[in-house]
Amino acid sequence: MATLDHPELRESLNILLKNARPRLERVLRNFEIPPEDAEDILQDAQLTLLYKWDKIRSPESWLVGTIKKKCIMYWRKRRGSLCEAVDTAILDLLAVPQAPAQERAELTCDLNRVLSRLSSRCRSLLKLRYGLGYGPTEVAEQMGYRTSSIRKVTNRCLAALTRQLLAVGFDREPAGEPQDG
Amino acid sequence: MDKHPDLTLLASFGRERLSRRRNRDIVRHLLARCESCCRMIAARSLYPFGLRERTEAPPLAYAAAFAQAWQETERRQAALSAERSEAPELLRELLVQAAGRQWSLASTAPRYHTWAFCELVVDAAWELGFQEPSRAVDLSRLGVEIASHLDAAYYGEARVNDLRARAWAGQGNAQRILSDFRPAEESFAKAERLLRKGTGDPLEKARMLLLKSSLRGNQQRFREAFRLLDRVVAIARKHADGQLCGKALIMKGFLVGVANDPEAAIRHLAAGIRKVDPISDPRLFMVAQHNLVVYLTESGQHDEALRLLESARPLYHQVGDQMALLRLRWIEGKIAVALGHFTAGEGILRGVRKELLERDLGFDAALLSLELARIYAEQGRSAEMRLLAEEMLPMFQSRDIHREAFAALLVFHKAAEMERVTLGLISNVTNYLQETRSARGLRSREPR
Repeated sequence: MATLDHPELRESLNILLKNARPRLERVLRNFEIPPEDAEDILQDAQLTLLYKWDKIRSPESWLVGTIKKKCIMYWRKRRGSLCEAVDTAILDLLAVPQAPAQERAELTCDLNRVLSRLSSRCRSLLKLRYGLGYGPTEVAEQMGYRTSSIRKVTNRCLAALTRQLLAVGFDREPAGEPQDG
Repeated sequence: MDKHPDLTLLASFGRERLSRRRNRDIVRHLLARCESCCRMIAARSLYPFGLRERTEAPPLAYAAAFAQAWQETERRQAALSAERSEAPELLRELLVQAAGRQWSLASTAPRYHTWAFCELVVDAAWELGFQEPSRAVDLSRLGVEIASHLDAAYYGEARVNDLRARAWAGQGNAQRILSDFRPAEESFAKAERLLRKGTGDPLEKARMLLLKSSLRGNQQRFREAFRLLDRVVAIARKHADGQLCGKALIMKGFLVGVANDPEAAIRHLAAGIRKVDPISDPRLFMVAQHNLVVYLTESGQHDEALRLLESARPLYHQVGDQMALLRLRWIEGKIAVALGHFTAGEGILRGVRKELLERDLGFDAALLSLELARIYAEQGRSAEMRLLAEEMLPMFQSRDIHREAFAALLVFHKAAEMERVTLGLISNVTNYLQETRSARGLRSREPR
């Protein structure tokens, strides 16, 4: 594909984006991307398309595919940072020095209640993490996981915990957390 | 935190916008089972686990997002167009400098550190690849250097990593053509590492895999090469990129042929040719047609080979480089011999051999001389066979022929002296030379 001149490239891009817009909107809506974040996704994909214009032979299908992929990555990242925020917050709460005994007891009770709704494997893992203050390597050793896979397993358990934390009143079945056995 | 967190705080929860303390307060509040806050989070902004209640959801409107994204794209497009219009002049300016000065300018002068210029250098190195492999390596190194200076904050880190990967893959390919397999291997490894930090564009990856498959083919690691090519075909099909798919099929056809399966080579080449657009890449189309003619000839389908050669002839002239025209005459001579027109075929082949030697392409001249030897063997012309063998030895003491190949030619020479040359011996020496060439870098008939 030959490199286009300035007005031609602008025109081609404009036409493409107009034609692709209904499909792109459908993708964003299906993935329930918040409008304030959709701009970043759209802009990033469009800029990549612009810079690679000469190398992409089916720009519309490339753009739709790229936006879909970015939507998946968006939620993966959001889930990751939410889980990380929950994990850090719980570790911080448990690490508060000289917290009144009653506050500490309430925190433990609330945390145990949420943990009790998780699979026994996740419950054990998170109890080692929060209750005994084990690091990932110690958790792996204790539970018989390989060190290389402990991060993945911990992330799944954190996702299950976060889901439970936010699921009060929704009565959703937890999905995707590690099962026993 | 006993009271409910502020709405805006809840909306920012888990989005790297809140302080650690505020995050902690919200989590503490949620641990105490605050149903209303959970509902709010799920309904308003935090639904990464599919907890969003669709009935309560406000409609998502993207008009502003599209408008703002377009505004930025338009601004960048104008800047990129300006870069592109300056790039060819910058390249001319750079290439007239001495090699050392080129390198120093490429490293230090910011005007060369643009996306468009980098792309132009990488593409120019690619174009040079089969014409002037040494210069292609030098230019591809410049491309890598320029790519390393691109402003990732402006162009986007992931996009810059894609272009850096492309530059490294281009360098790896140029090194492969020069048969520098170890450096080529390292360049491809670098390209792969950069791609992992790139945009994740599957087409970018597919193009890199296509180049890597050539390296694997040259290294005689055919299974790996075919596996890579199958991945390229799958990606290209998924993204409706017929050209890329065609290139991969043509490359597979070529490598299958090198691996001694001319029937499969014909199948893949024909399928690839059907997919590529001759207008956007006439050279690829020509080389693919040429290879198809070669394999049709080798598998005895002379009429089909001739028909195809006639239809492809204008392309050789359109592409116009001297090697392409030389290849055309070579295959014409070969077909003429295969059809029993020995005198005409011999004349053509002798002319081509002379030109190959003038270009110091000893390997090709060796292969071609063996085709002449076949004519003499079939016609029982042992005196001419001896003369041919005499001529061959000194001319192949060139740097283009390496030791093992030279040893094979010595065997042929000895047999000619003893008038013991058979068609079987010629086939064996020919196959041996072709295999040796494959291991060094398949230059003469290789698709790009």
